[in-house]
Amino acid sequence: MRPLLPILKLVWSADRAAFLRGIALAVVVLVMGVALLGLSGWFIIAAGAAGLAGTGAVFDVFRPSAGVRFLALGRTAARYGERLLTHDATLKALAALRVRLLRGISAAPYRSLLRLRGAEVLHRLTADIDALDGVALRLAIPLLAGALVLAGSLAALTWLVDSRVAAWSVFSLALGATLALIWAARRSDRPSRMAEAAGRAFRVRLVDHLRGRAMLAFAGQLDMSRQAVLKADARARRERLTLARTERRTGAVVSLTATFSAAGALYIGAELALRGEISPALAALGFFATLGMAEVVGPLRRAMREIGGMRDSARRVLRWLPGQDLPRSRPETAPPNDPEAGLELVDLSVSALPEGPELAEGLSLQILPGETLALVGRSGAGKTTVLDVAAGLIAPRAGEVRLCGRALVQWEERALRHHLGYLPQRSALTSGTIGEALRLARPEASDAELHAVLTAVALDAVVARIGGLQARLGEGGRGLSGGESRRLALARVLLRAPDVLLLDEPTEGLDRATAERVLNGIRAACPKSAILIAAHRAVERDWADALHSVG
Amino acid sequence: MANKQPDAAPDRARERLDAALAPVSGSLRRAGLITAGGSLLWLPQAALVAWLLASLIAGSADRGTALLAAVGFALLGALRAAFQILADRILAKAADRVLARERAVLVAREGRRAPMAAGPRSAELAALASEKLNTLEPYILRYRPAQMRVFTVPLAILLLSFTISWAAGVILLVAGPLIPVFMALVGMAAREASERQMDEIGTLNGMLLERIQALVDIRLLDAGEQVARGFEERAESLRERTMAVLRVAFLSSTVLELFSALGVALVAVYVGFSLLGTIGFGAWGTPLGVGEGVFLLLLAPEFFQPLRDLAAAWHDKASATAVARDLVKAEAVAPVEILGTGAGAVPLPMPDGPALVSVRGLEIGLGGAQRIAFPDFDIACGETCALLGPSGRGKSTLLSALAGLLPVAAGRIEIGGQPLDADRADRWRMSVGWIPQAPHFFSGTLRANLRLGDPEAGDAELLAALRTAHAEEIVERLPRGLLSQLGETGAGVSGGEARRLMIARAALGKLPVILADEPTANLDAQTAEVVTDGLLALAEAGATLIVATHDETLAARLGRRIELGGAA
Repeated sequence: MRPLLPILKLVWSADRAAFLRGIALAVVVLVMGVALLGLSGWFIIAAGAAGLAGTGAVFDVFRPSAGVRFLALGRTAARYGERLLTHDATLKALAALRVRLLRGISAAPYRSLLRLRGAEVLHRLTADIDALDGVALRLAIPLLAGALVLAGSLAALTWLVDSRVAAWSVFSLALGATLALIWAARRSDRPSRMAEAAGRAFRVRLVDHLRGRAMLAFAGQLDMSRQAVLKADARARRERLTLARTERRTGAVVSLTATFSAAGALYIGAELALRGEISPALAALGFFATLGMAEVVGPLRRAMREIGGMRDSARRVLRWLPGQDLPRSRPETAPPNDPEAGLELVDLSVSALPEGPELAEGLSLQILPGETLALVGRSGAGKTTVLDVAAGLIAPRAGEVRLCGRALVQWEERALRHHLGYLPQRSALTSGTIGEALRLARPEASDAELHAVLTAVALDAVVARIGGLQARLGEGGRGLSGGESRRLALARVLLRAPDVLLLDEPTEGLDRATAERVLNGIRAACPKSAILIAAHRAVERDWADALHSVG
Repeated sequence: MANKQPDAAPDRARERLDAALAPVSGSLRRAGLITAGGSLLWLPQAALVAWLLASLIAGSADRGTALLAAVGFALLGALRAAFQILADRILAKAADRVLARERAVLVAREGRRAPMAAGPRSAELAALASEKLNTLEPYILRYRPAQMRVFTVPLAILLLSFTISWAAGVILLVAGPLIPVFMALVGMAAREASERQMDEIGTLNGMLLERIQALVDIRLLDAGEQVARGFEERAESLRERTMAVLRVAFLSSTVLELFSALGVALVAVYVGFSLLGTIGFGAWGTPLGVGEGVFLLLLAPEFFQPLRDLAAAWHDKASATAVARDLVKAEAVAPVEILGTGAGAVPLPMPDGPALVSVRGLEIGLGGAQRIAFPDFDIACGETCALLGPSGRGKSTLLSALAGLLPVAAGRIEIGGQPLDADRADRWRMSVGWIPQAPHFFSGTLRANLRLGDPEAGDAELLAALRTAHAEEIVERLPRGLLSQLGETGAGVSGGEARRLMIARAALGKLPVILADEPTANLDAQTAEVVTDGLLALAEAGATLIVATHDETLAARLGRRIELGGAA
């Protein structure tokens, strides 16, 4: 259970009231079910006894039969309410989990973020959250409601029937269900993990097989690769069969528990009736109520099936959830910032990966406000890495970056982002209107300002054509071409007119005329910015005031 | 997630689902009968309880009666659990067989689809083949047996009830069939709702994923808080809309519960009044006995249980149908297959005669009605040829066909004077180095990728091949050299670097023929030159070079030009 506890806490704190209401109604449903069966059984036996004794005429039929009808209808109504409320609580928890995850991941180191762009990682993350969606609805709520109902039944049956019947029914059911749940959790843990891993191997191999099938055909390995794909599937299916076996067995334990519990209640009740301690009608009540209580353990079967997967997923998701608070504050004893100092790189050495080779050794340069400097060099020389370091996304191997006269490490994160703009090589947009996409950079920007930056990046005509600032973009910015969405991301960076602007190949994929227009637009939008650009094309080099070679 | 478009062919999805289950139909029937039999074991269990309770009232019971009834009840219950376990085992095996077969068919078919031809996206296929197909499992395990029980168990209980009391029978008869009627009415809303709920979760996931993918930008803009709040608002409005739908949808199961509760309550009340003597009709001849009354009361819930099981498994059916629809869609794409099996074979020997490759009257289609015609040409061993022509003229298509990756619609391709057919395609490809525009790197190390096809090549040979391809510096730059992980989650290499690595792979295999598709596309002049140098180094070592390109600088460095003509 341990990995599930933080998730449960999260679900609980998402909306306590909704969660409690859900449990309350779940209890009502179960109680009414137990009462309905118990009352019906008692009613019939009592009526039968009265009929045989010839006292049928004075037997009060109306209250019990009204009770039966009330319970039947009430249970149905309560069930409807319960389903609505528990789904409501679940949906809230579901959103809360995702919001927490988003916040947690946004605090992750830059390199982890890059890793999260891979389809397989994202796929797994989604599958994990989906697996956790059942924590409230299928595990916590039935478990808590079931425990409450069993406790209540113990009291009610002791009062109405006999303590021995009550104790047997409740404790046998509770014991059986608890054992089954613990056993299921332990037995399904490993196969769940292995099934997940094999399933992942299957997907990775299948995508490799499909995307690389031409290469495989030339290597004469198409058939071998197909077999490797199917082997991973066979492994995943074998684990799933193991899981199914565990599920069958726990299911059998649960149904045997219900059967033995009812049989015991029947025998104890009959024995007590034979001794004359209780009436046959009360013996019937005990038996029928026990049958009703089996409904308490039934819903747990689904939880037992999923609990192994839930735990596996919870372990992975927890890694992304933030702890309490993120200590991101930087030292306060920083020199005052001086926009006139622009951007300085001092004796900088960088590497793309912690263990990677050193790039751009001993790089020193300064860019003053209004100046533009282009980094040039062959691909792979480290231009992008220098920009990543200058933007404070990764730490340098050696040396220092100074922004407005103050070392990067002395900047508080929020202030840093307002003074420094960076257009990385790959930008991503989210669905929403063009206006919303731009206002991420400056929520208070006026429409006129938005139009101005769109014009600066030569997007004005495109945006006007698709419907202006109100035009909606699809998922990931669909609706714009690759080059257009990149220019929109550029416009967003320009909107802040930062003191220092870092641009990674901003005109990639544009024809020369448009590229020139965009470059001039950048300077016009940010006349006072110190601009450092990783230049790839002649048009970018021509635009810069000076060049600096890397590598 | 659930498909919101109107169903073009729901029948075809249903047929496809039946076809998927056809090989295990015997198992499904057997398991269905076993679970139905298990359900019917409730009848003797109920009879034992009724007998005991009746004799308790009558005063004819003793401890032996009680023990017999309780033990009998427990044993029959255990038997019932055994039946269930047996049926579930058969079903789990059947589901496993269905999944294994569907996956094997899909992987085999899509793996042999010609790479140039249109086909479903590999990410979609992977999703379909993995978790989507998995949803057939609950359908087989829960929905199918419940369906079987619905047609057997209520009928048996109804008949039995009628033999005891026609009035109780009538109550069940009226309440039972009314349920499907009402459920059908509300069920239409319910189906939409369950799909909507899946959509809701899907949309929420989609929203989360696109934000995660944009997190670098979000952080650079210091917009994290704003984005998280926006996400919260969107999620909240989604929740409200979903709840509005669920309110209607849950009515369907409420109707079911209502009728089954009313049915049970009516039976209980009828039995109670009969026993008191207030009601004198309903039973055959003699008034209803206590035992019969209890028996009827115990049967009533079991009458409704299969219907409730079926309703609970409704969602499984909806998901299975959606998967069947996806399967139909994937299978509807015309199969254009590669020649041969793609398995390893003895390489074709290079011919001594004049022509290595001859093309005569060649026409190629890509699955559609349109065909591309190509001029006749011969290429001799050791030649370096540029296939030139405007884009869309079929340069890449021709290259694929020359490699046996595309079937020929008319005319023929000959290799060493023999037609390129399925038998010879595998052997021919073993002699060919393939340099595609955007090479795929398999997940694994760079070394494993380079050694694909030559698994026993040593590092020294590898380095020599990399030198030939002018690709050493790529390996030096990578953090872990030859052991760097490539593939989606691994270190990235640029387009030009990827092609140089492919050239190195061809050099490693000392392959006598190289087919390259636009090797200098989207490269700056400097990088294009390095790639060209690598290709020419292979030619100098004796390889025949066939390059599809529109790069005149590259073409000028090759020995021969083959123009594919102007008009398509």
